[in-house]
Amino acid sequence: MSPVRRDILIGLAFLIAAIALPLLVPGRYIVTQSTLLFVWAIVVVQWNLVLGVGGIFSLAQMALFAAGAYATAMLGFYWKWPMLLAIPAGGVVAIVVSLVVGLACLRLKGPYVALLTLAVAQVMYVLIVNDTDCFTTTGGCMPLFGGVRGIGQFGDIGLRALFPSKWYVAHYYVALALLAVAIAFSVVVIRGPLGLAFRALRDNPGYAMSRGISRFKYQLWIFGVSAFFTGIAGGFYAVHFRVVGPSVFSFQLLLFLIAMIVVGGLGSIWGPLLGAVLLMFADEAMKEFSDYRNIGLGLLLAVFVIAWPNGIVGWIDTLRQRRRARKAAAELSR
Amino acid sequence: MKRSTRLSTPNLIAGSRRNFLIKGGLTTAAALTGMPAMLFSMNSEARAEGEPIPVGQCGPTTDFAAPDGIEFKNGLTLACEEINALGGILGRPLEPSFEDTAQMGDATNVQAAQRLVDRYGVHAILNGYNIGSGAAIQEVAADNGIIYVHYDTTIGHNDLVKSNPDRYWGSFQGDPAEYWYGPGFLKFLQDLEANKEWTRPNNKMAVILSAGVYASNIANAVKEQAAAYGWEISLFETVGVPASEWGPTLAKIRQDPPAVICVTHFLPADLAQFCVQFAPNPTPSLIYMQYGPSIPAFRDIAKEAANGIIYATVVGALQDEIGTAFEKRYKDRFGANAGHNSGAQPYDGAYVWATAAALAGGSGEPGNADQNRKVAQRMSAMIWRGVTGTTRFMPLENAAYTYPTQTNDSSLGMPHQFLQIQDFTKGPGLIAPAPYGTAKFVMPPWIKA
Repeated sequence: MSPVRRDILIGLAFLIAAIALPLLVPGRYIVTQSTLLFVWAIVVVQWNLVLGVGGIFSLAQMALFAAGAYATAMLGFYWKWPMLLAIPAGGVVAIVVSLVVGLACLRLKGPYVALLTLAVAQVMYVLIVNDTDCFTTTGGCMPLFGGVRGIGQFGDIGLRALFPSKWYVAHYYVALALLAVAIAFSVVVIRGPLGLAFRALRDNPGYAMSRGISRFKYQLWIFGVSAFFTGIAGGFYAVHFRVVGPSVFSFQLLLFLIAMIVVGGLGSIWGPLLGAVLLMFADEAMKEFSDYRNIGLGLLLAVFVIAWPNGIVGWIDTLRQRRRARKAAAELSR
Repeated sequence: MKRSTRLSTPNLIAGSRRNFLIKGGLTTAAALTGMPAMLFSMNSEARAEGEPIPVGQCGPTTDFAAPDGIEFKNGLTLACEEINALGGILGRPLEPSFEDTAQMGDATNVQAAQRLVDRYGVHAILNGYNIGSGAAIQEVAADNGIIYVHYDTTIGHNDLVKSNPDRYWGSFQGDPAEYWYGPGFLKFLQDLEANKEWTRPNNKMAVILSAGVYASNIANAVKEQAAAYGWEISLFETVGVPASEWGPTLAKIRQDPPAVICVTHFLPADLAQFCVQFAPNPTPSLIYMQYGPSIPAFRDIAKEAANGIIYATVVGALQDEIGTAFEKRYKDRFGANAGHNSGAQPYDGAYVWATAAALAGGSGEPGNADQNRKVAQRMSAMIWRGVTGTTRFMPLENAAYTYPTQTNDSSLGMPHQFLQIQDFTKGPGLIAPAPYGTAKFVMPPWIKA
């Protein structure tokens, strides 16, 4: 079976299972948690393009998520944009921010990219939380970016009014649709010539450039496209919770999402999604343990880094290769 | 769904109320000297043995505000235990669940509140405070048609509810907005001078705030009205949270000593550090803080440096018959060092809601907005004398009145308490307002010297 055919089958199986989930599970808790899972899955699938496929150690993804979320919220709060327009606009704002970050990172490599992108995110965070001046006094003192309190009261996509008692199911399907598009895009990039170019730049930049692959062009491209979906996810997150605040910049959340990629399998198509599912389950199971929850998640990450450095997908690939090798050896010995 | 009936005490009312009082002893009797007796009488022969009513609380049980968050949890736990012992709500026991909001951003708070609804199906969210806008969890309550009682102490709540009472009918702020700290404090200083208890050495006032809507709203209220009381703001400084290193701020204060230092940041550990670092080289300034020093952790850390500090709270357990009886029950249950002042918030909130729900014929699950609207109407009409004083909600804003700034009738508003730590080994003295005061203002030791 060709890799693309396999991806289509896996994708369809996931989609059918996800569509059926709200019809099969009782109560609303699993549905609402799955909606959040889809949002984080969009972020990690796109982050994986930069981090795993492009080999650029960027930690700016949550800043891009925040840019999309804040842009959506501010367009709604200050200029009363309808959310169905504000969310894509948030995606465009995330692209602009990511291009600026991408340009700043062009001359840097490895940990320096990580430091710069983390610094950008932290500067955004500090500027927001330390802003205490009133930009508007409508509904109390409101700093431009909402300060520590964040921004709320910016509108809705209308599904709460359409489905008063089942709005959370409607939001679930919207998030699922966004994730499906984000994954399809990721498959196209990774399996296509673009993915080949990214991998070449990641594994042997000198050789790739000698074959005419422009680092400048491709690095900006990958920063931009991954930012669009991340920004859209941020916008949907803001609309779903009706609020956006500086907690989206939290280092803990950043590590949680990186852990999803690492546990699932860095650079693989389905790894980040698998990692997101596993980590959300683990997080849920450890919610009752308060402070020990972070320790538990840290231990899980450490175990994977040491025992399965290529994540779940890498481990499955290794098992398949071993099985093939055993099969080949058995056939030879006959 | 996790269901625990550990807190439910369905057989406490064994046979008759008389038996119950005898079995419950002094503790239960004390609980019935105040308004809880109303709930007990409504329950009549009912026993808390029906289908449990899930209630929830999302508060900061970890991270920098955990000392308060743990007490909020304790406060709701105690209230549920007592209410269950009184027969629950028309025979249905309360079953509390808790979610952590850690650093308490709006997004975190909303997710935690949503989890309480999704996971436990809570009929009401009965919180202490969460930092944030104070206007976010109301969306969860409105979307799900449940009751939300909180002590965020923010004008953001009043503005939100007023903007759309038809949507936010179920959200109540159990205490007055933080705004009232500003005018209340300036008035308090004026009274001190009028009574010749203190004389200002100059007209300078330093205002220190943290980056948060709560602290900045109070600081801005003081700044706006200071001139009207003859004050000049000589320093207006924002510090980061948590603020444990006060050196740079204290250097500015020492360079230009003000008559009053007004700290509107409120976290106990940070404020205690301020006192500890101020004490070795003090300026002749009256130090005013709010809320944080009411938490025992403040005195534990600051020790002698806490003596003389004035602080205020618009919500706290009173040092009267009802308040001290509550303090005793609370400390018997959670230990001598437990902070009953924080626990008092969700404790009173839970009683107000439970009594209103009993009056309305029961509470409603998520989605049952019709029943919960009845509960909200009973809450709006109620005047509740609890351990923090009087809870009476302002029409259309669903926030408690403050006494004496908003109403001059102490039976119609929650007292804005001014307290002074005079001996850090003991509790603070309540120096205003009348008739609740239990001590007189004492000049701080560093000014005496």
